[in-house]
Amino acid sequence: MADVAQMLTPADLRKIANLQVLARLVVEGFCSGLHTSPHKGFSVEFREHRQYVQGDEIRRLDWKVFGKTDRLYIREYEEETNLRATLLVDVSGSMNYAGSGVSKYTYAIHLAACLAYLMLRQQDSVGLVTFDQKLRQHIPPRSRPSHLQVLLDALQGTQPGGETEIASVFHQLVPKIHRRGLLIIFSDCFGDVSELLTALAHFRHAHHEIIIFQIWDPDELEFPFQQWTRFDSLEHETQQRLIDPVQLRSIYMENLARFRKELKDGCHRHRIDLVPMLTNQPYAEALAYYLARRTKTV
Amino acid sequence: MTFLNAILLFGLAAAAIPLIIHLLHRSRFRVVKWAAMQFLEIHQRTQRRRIRIEQLLLLLIRCLIPAVLALLMARPVLTGLRALLGAAKTSTVVLLDNSYSMDIGTKNRNTFTEARDAAGQLIRHLGRGSEVSVVLMGGVPAPLLDEPTFNTDRAARELAALQTGYGSANVPAALDLGLGILGKMHEVQRELILVSDFQKISWRERDDVERARLAGLLKKLPINPTVTFMHVGREDRNNVSVQSLDFSRMLLGVGQKFQVRANLKNHGDAAYGDLRVYFRVDGTERAAAQLALGPNEAGQVLFTHTFETAGSHVIEVNADAPDALKSDNSLLASVPVLEKLPVLIINGKPGREPLEGETDFLEIALRPFQNAKGNLTDLITTRVIEPHQMDASVFKDVRVAVLANVAQLQEHQLKALEAFVKAGGGLLIFPGSRVDTAWWNRAFAAEGRGLLPCPLAALEGGLEDNAAHSTVLMQHFEHPALQIFNDPRNGDLSTANIRLWYKLNTAAFQALEKQTGSISNAWKNSASNAVPFVLARLSTGDPFLVERGYGEGSVVLCGVPCSAEWSNLPMRPCYLPLLQQLVTYLAAKFDPPRNVEIGRPLVAVLPAALGGKQVELSDPAGRKVKLDVTAGGGRALAHFADTRRPGLYILALPDQTLLHFVVNAARAESDLAQLSSDEIAGVAKPFDATVVRSWDEYRQLEQRRRYGRDFWRPLLWTLLGLIFAELWLQQRIGRIKR
Repeated sequence: MADVAQMLTPADLRKIANLQVLARLVVEGFCSGLHTSPHKGFSVEFREHRQYVQGDEIRRLDWKVFGKTDRLYIREYEEETNLRATLLVDVSGSMNYAGSGVSKYTYAIHLAACLAYLMLRQQDSVGLVTFDQKLRQHIPPRSRPSHLQVLLDALQGTQPGGETEIASVFHQLVPKIHRRGLLIIFSDCFGDVSELLTALAHFRHAHHEIIIFQIWDPDELEFPFQQWTRFDSLEHETQQRLIDPVQLRSIYMENLARFRKELKDGCHRHRIDLVPMLTNQPYAEALAYYLARRTKTV
Repeated sequence: MTFLNAILLFGLAAAAIPLIIHLLHRSRFRVVKWAAMQFLEIHQRTQRRRIRIEQLLLLLIRCLIPAVLALLMARPVLTGLRALLGAAKTSTVVLLDNSYSMDIGTKNRNTFTEARDAAGQLIRHLGRGSEVSVVLMGGVPAPLLDEPTFNTDRAARELAALQTGYGSANVPAALDLGLGILGKMHEVQRELILVSDFQKISWRERDDVERARLAGLLKKLPINPTVTFMHVGREDRNNVSVQSLDFSRMLLGVGQKFQVRANLKNHGDAAYGDLRVYFRVDGTERAAAQLALGPNEAGQVLFTHTFETAGSHVIEVNADAPDALKSDNSLLASVPVLEKLPVLIINGKPGREPLEGETDFLEIALRPFQNAKGNLTDLITTRVIEPHQMDASVFKDVRVAVLANVAQLQEHQLKALEAFVKAGGGLLIFPGSRVDTAWWNRAFAAEGRGLLPCPLAALEGGLEDNAAHSTVLMQHFEHPALQIFNDPRNGDLSTANIRLWYKLNTAAFQALEKQTGSISNAWKNSASNAVPFVLARLSTGDPFLVERGYGEGSVVLCGVPCSAEWSNLPMRPCYLPLLQQLVTYLAAKFDPPRNVEIGRPLVAVLPAALGGKQVELSDPAGRKVKLDVTAGGGRALAHFADTRRPGLYILALPDQTLLHFVVNAARAESDLAQLSSDEIAGVAKPFDATVVRSWDEYRQLEQRRRYGRDFWRPLLWTLLGLIFAELWLQQRIGRIKR
């Protein structure tokens, strides 16, 4: 069983605790609570009973239970659960690249765990989807605090491998996520940009809010190789290229820039938040930065 | 091309190093497991081609860098043809400017010594067995040694003893002479070196054509010489010169007032407020004057002197100016002073009454002061004889004879007269009423071989008042005897009314050949040839005065008599100066000039008794030369041609009499403006000449020519360029387009 403390260092937790993830769109029906509901302290959905302890408000006593059992119980309600977030983590082979630091995959699950923890603390419900060329695992959203452990176990349990086919996976996924909510994608997004955008548009069509954490290794952005190198593909074993990186660097950079631009423009067009993340970037900090920005925009 | 360190050429093999490195790198690659394979693809064909070209270019540059470095260290030397010729023996002609403008500077260190020392160095450093000739450019260009010599030491010694001041430089003539000498020399490598101060005046634009011709000539030589122009000295235009001296008289007698007008010019930009000008006679200062000369201004100073003794005198005008060039601050002139000028008048029609005789007016005109009983003295003494008294003896000591209205002469009389003129005497002929025209045209003219300059054609006009009369046509006179009348204050010839005159047939002897030159022809003007020269004409167009040379002497024929019988000329104020001028002119022609330009020969007329003996001439440097005296035509002549050096030449006769000759340089050289470096490059261009400023510079040039040009500098630049290109290309290849 994965230990929460192993993935979320106390320092990370301290930084994130003061920030709130805010949904940009208010999901209809569950919009009370911390976010926009005026009914503070009240809830619609009964959650559980617990014994009265000194200091609890008297008005929150369940008099019916007192009448039946002659014991004092407090009624507790489900509060402010109005965000359904699904974390979509790419576990294809390409996520396995690790330059000098952690691999993109490790970084992605760390980031996902952080977010899951954060959102569950806010009583939001969080689900998880892992995929490579096909859907690997699908855990529907729950808001119970204990659900965190389920999610972390699932994340920890996967191993990266296989090819990336984000687009087809996403198309499959659309009908499986019934209620609209927030989709948080952790992927390098490698592959065909237009297909990916089509799939994302499909999600948007179902009124989902999308945030993409695009995970980059610094090597991929800077291409710092100097001597002759054979690049072996992480996804296709047979794919190899022997090149002089110094020669090819400008071409690589051109291709990279074009890819990033296409993706960025596409995301902007569909009102999708695209957040590039570097694996050497302290993920907690990057996350905090992002959430702060998100707060401002709402 | 040769290499000084040929062994280092093996370094060229280093060109392979980048190639080896390239292959080595390719074989020792590392493996990276990579995610972003899609960015490694080269999608466009242009990209692929660009990469290939860049890669090849980079490899090429990297291969070139060690190759060029190896080449550089091998010290390549461009030698061209001369290296093949090999031998260091050369035939060299040095043209050395020894004109007096080279005198700028102090006595021990002036432009000329600089030029001379440079030329000396040059000759001393010629290869063993080289042939050399030095041509001096001043005045009349002449070689220093008669023949080109292989003894360079001797040439250098002779050169070291040279002095400057040899007139003005004659560049085209010197080049002509130099090329001529070069053509006859023996070695395969030939050089022409011109050492000069490149004074503007010596490189006039009007000589361009001549110089272009010489440049063409140079290129046509079977072996093209290497031409070098060495520019010595610095420009200093601050200079005052005595340009010329004008004398009031052509001939001067003892006790006569003699006026000298000195023309001075300031060639520079400095002003001289009180320039002292001294007048010296025979070395003694006689007068001084003060003159203010502004920048580029000319001025005149007048000195008057009366000589007490006859003989040869020297006058000097000296301007005491603190200028750059001293040698043109004074000008000398030799002035022969005569005791008397004896004139023989042969009167064909003596009269009984005063002024009735044919020559009475003539006598008065020639000796005005004697008849006027004044205290001034006449130079001319006259002796009047009648034709029958005339024989060979009467011409003794006579310088000019006048034949007035003589009907005809006896055979022996004509012979005597011809002999007199042939020996250098002057003859003035006036016709008249008694003239036997037939005899004159037959025996006296003798088909152009006789004394008469041209035949008498016919009498024109008439003594009657209503007949067509004539006057002398006033025009600008070129002839020295009549130049005085160009100034109207000296009399107007046209005031005389000429009623009757002889038409002179000047066309008669036109076809005759020119007289073959004799020694003394060199100092005579155009009248010395057989064609009669018309000095002045009448208003009808008929000649008034005609001159023709005969032997060493000269004959002037007048179309009008000297008496008042046919005209009122003798009554006019112009009559006296006219006669004086004609007689002194004819008398002056008796003596060769004492003041000559550089290069002109000195000729002295000596008593016939000295024929076959020797006289001694000392030149301006004090060297003494023995001259042979040649007798002929009733007198003796001494002749000296080597007048390249300006200054005073003194001829000492056995009886201790001294004759002074002055050789003057043309004063154009006094304008010290030099050509600018651009202009020098301009004049050097037709000759493909290299311009150098000093002996050191020449030596470097020669080193390069002989041993080739070190080639390392351009190679170094190439290397640096390649390194930069490599860096740039590498940067460009690794550059990210944003």
